[in-house]
Amino acid sequence: MREAYIIGAGQTPFGAMPGESYRSLFADAVDAAFDSVPDGIDTGEIDEAVVGTLGVGGRQIGLSAPAVTEHAGLHGVPSTRVENACAASGYAVRQAVQAVRSGMADVALAGGVEVMSDLSGDAAKYWLGVSGETEWERLTGTTFAGVYAQMASAYFDRYDATPEHLSQVAVKNHKNGAKNDKAHLGFECSLEDARDAPVVADPLNLYHCCPTSDGAAAVLVASEDAVGAYTDEPIRVAGVGAASERVGLFQRDTYTGIDASMEAAAEAYDRAGIEPDELDFAEVHDCFAIAELLAYEDLGFCGRGEAGELIDAGATELGGELPVNASGGLKSKGHPIGATGAGQIAEAYKQLRGEAGERQVQDAELGLTHNVGGSGGAAVVHVLEREVGR
Amino acid sequence: MSDGDGTTDEPGIAAIGAYTPRLRIDAAEFEDAWGRFDAAGVERKAVPEADEDALTMGIEAARRALDAADRDGDEVVHLAFATTTPPMAEEDLTPRLASVLGASEDADTRTLTGSTRAGAQALAGALDAGPWSGSAGNGIGLVVVADCPRGEPDSEIEHAAGAGAAALVLAAGAPGTVVDRGSYVQSYPGTRFREAGSEETTGLGVTQYDREAFTTALGGAVDALDVDLASADAAAVQSPDGKLPYRAAGALGVDTETIAAAETVSHLGDTGAASAFLGVASAFDDGTERVLLAAYGSGAGANALVVDGSIPVDAALSGVTELSYAEYLRRRGEITTGEPEGGGAYVSVPSWQRTTPQRHRLAAGRCPNCGALNFPPGGACGDCHARVEEYERVELTGEGTIEATTTIAQGGAPPEFVEQQSRSGPFVSAIVALDGPDGDSVSVPSQVLADGESVEIGTRVAATIRRIYTQEGVTRYGFKLRAIERQR
Repeated sequence: MREAYIIGAGQTPFGAMPGESYRSLFADAVDAAFDSVPDGIDTGEIDEAVVGTLGVGGRQIGLSAPAVTEHAGLHGVPSTRVENACAASGYAVRQAVQAVRSGMADVALAGGVEVMSDLSGDAAKYWLGVSGETEWERLTGTTFAGVYAQMASAYFDRYDATPEHLSQVAVKNHKNGAKNDKAHLGFECSLEDARDAPVVADPLNLYHCCPTSDGAAAVLVASEDAVGAYTDEPIRVAGVGAASERVGLFQRDTYTGIDASMEAAAEAYDRAGIEPDELDFAEVHDCFAIAELLAYEDLGFCGRGEAGELIDAGATELGGELPVNASGGLKSKGHPIGATGAGQIAEAYKQLRGEAGERQVQDAELGLTHNVGGSGGAAVVHVLEREVGR
Repeated sequence: MSDGDGTTDEPGIAAIGAYTPRLRIDAAEFEDAWGRFDAAGVERKAVPEADEDALTMGIEAARRALDAADRDGDEVVHLAFATTTPPMAEEDLTPRLASVLGASEDADTRTLTGSTRAGAQALAGALDAGPWSGSAGNGIGLVVVADCPRGEPDSEIEHAAGAGAAALVLAAGAPGTVVDRGSYVQSYPGTRFREAGSEETTGLGVTQYDREAFTTALGGAVDALDVDLASADAAAVQSPDGKLPYRAAGALGVDTETIAAAETVSHLGDTGAASAFLGVASAFDDGTERVLLAAYGSGAGANALVVDGSIPVDAALSGVTELSYAEYLRRRGEITTGEPEGGGAYVSVPSWQRTTPQRHRLAAGRCPNCGALNFPPGGACGDCHARVEEYERVELTGEGTIEATTTIAQGGAPPEFVEQQSRSGPFVSAIVALDGPDGDSVSVPSQVLADGESVEIGTRVAATIRRIYTQEGVTRYGFKLRAIERQR
């Protein structure tokens, strides 16, 4: 199977952008990805496009992929929407990698887009709930914050961690996001702010929850045969893993971890031929602060029940042993549902090329992205590697 | 009419169940809000939660009655539901009642409404319908009477309006016997009525006329009795307030102490059709051996039944949570705005109906491949992941243990639960391991009734039936859970 490389990736700012449409956002992300290709690329060179979007607000639910790729000037390119809730564009990238590896495409574009800020509060609540298990879980009046709060309750009941650790996740990610000019909530917060915020779903408070954002991101994937035309310093897709689980939390074997994340990570590590301790950084799916703590364990950064100790030790801060969410994560950078997974790849691309500015992880050669759909019904993990001395 | 034929399989009263909501409001709260309180003789009253109505209260009472009689829902062959406040003006609610109780599909069901004597009419009808035997074996009758009247906020009727339910199991060879009964009607319009399309009961408020209608009808009903009412230990008399029943003492031929011995209006309020039945329940719960049930309905009509025996009673009539007047207005939906625009998680009524065995009866499925319980059953087994042709139906016990929990804070509810949260405040949403009959368990999501408190992992809970939500005008009833230590 031939290798696949990331030759470019970019994103729009994440945030509330009343002046933009889902089409204009996607086009801006495509431009950013094209601009990032070291030796340049033309729209005519794209063989395949995959677009991740949930379609929050309705908008263009049918044919949403051609609607955005044609607008972005990718005329005639076969274009498909993939939908896996918050993991939509992580899966879109995986599809692009498959297209390239299979030989059907030499260059594929994977992207994602979501517009969430132009809805009434009530309509937003509806759309945010559409990926929960509808017939049973949702009909207990729960929300995504509620389901992750249930996980937190079980985690705190089983292990020594406390809500203070949730607040530490928020403080760390805001500190990183303040260094990211694309971040939705690019400001620092104090531990007091993060501890004393209004409760959303006990034990989660407002600072333990990511915002709803507008934004788009795009990634360009090239085959080993084509990559030389675009760059001398390509980023190799070293490993991809993905897995599904029951959509409702109550249907799963554990509430203190996400099985789909564990399986996706194991597959990605195996394909990349690495161990998690070889990683230089990770972008993980911190839709709620508890999700980042669970990710530390699901992705093998520490043992079961040790996530609190890991963040206490500062290991996941910028400058720590394994910086996590240098971009600010979903918490600070923002979470435009369909764009989040591709946005994580865009951050990893920047980090691996040494272009992350103030938030640069030193000597980053091996990075991981982790994108989760819903409360864990789908997960996808990418391991990306800067090829030194190609 | 006198009970005369003396056959032993004539149905008697095997047990009584009674239920009121846990919420209470004191008369003083009304006085603070209005400067006066218009319901004479009412000190406090019961208030339904936002997810309770006549049907859910009736289910609570019915389950207690069956427990007290040591009978099962599948033995019910005659099922009567009486209320002046059916949650739907048109649509038969007895199929839902039969479904949650597990009554057989060929049970004879009927609904009586339109009058506060609907319960007494249901009981009289059930006694006439029995005995139940033959192909159905030793079937039982179940009469469920539930009510939660309401009036305009500043009216005497609203100030008095309480809530409660009672249920009577009727069976051959029962410890309780209806030894005599009579009824009476005479046209007296306007004492208490509710116009078509209105949710609020009203009356003309002509005091002397109201009393005359009340005493004439009740007096007429007892005049038809052969039993000497001086022998009654208690008289459970229709109580729209705490004063009117005593006005009928002379007409009934009992003294006021006998009426006071079965009164509930002072602490439950006007419980409408359930009023005299709650009185009967509390009297037999106190060990009384002969009780007069005297029900009155405007129009006017009355029923009198004399009940003898030592009848087991399972009554949950104590109040737990005290409401302020503002909280009371929220609970009644007087100051809330209903489901917001924007829709909710759409589960069509047909797809909801297909899950009725799970929503009403906690019907799980046992995997024929690995033996694991699945809830809801269907598709691949959650444990061994094998495709299953047909799960073995297993009804869960209804008890379980909290595994994971959160409290959805005010303002955080999804659209279809916004009205519930506006009325009742933050609610608990949890995952609960429900016990199977063989010591194993299966996890289900559910709201947990917690009186505004949070609940802890490991807490033991038991199932009840509540309103889940209403969409397209159709209320979805299903199970919720309640901490066993909070049960009364």
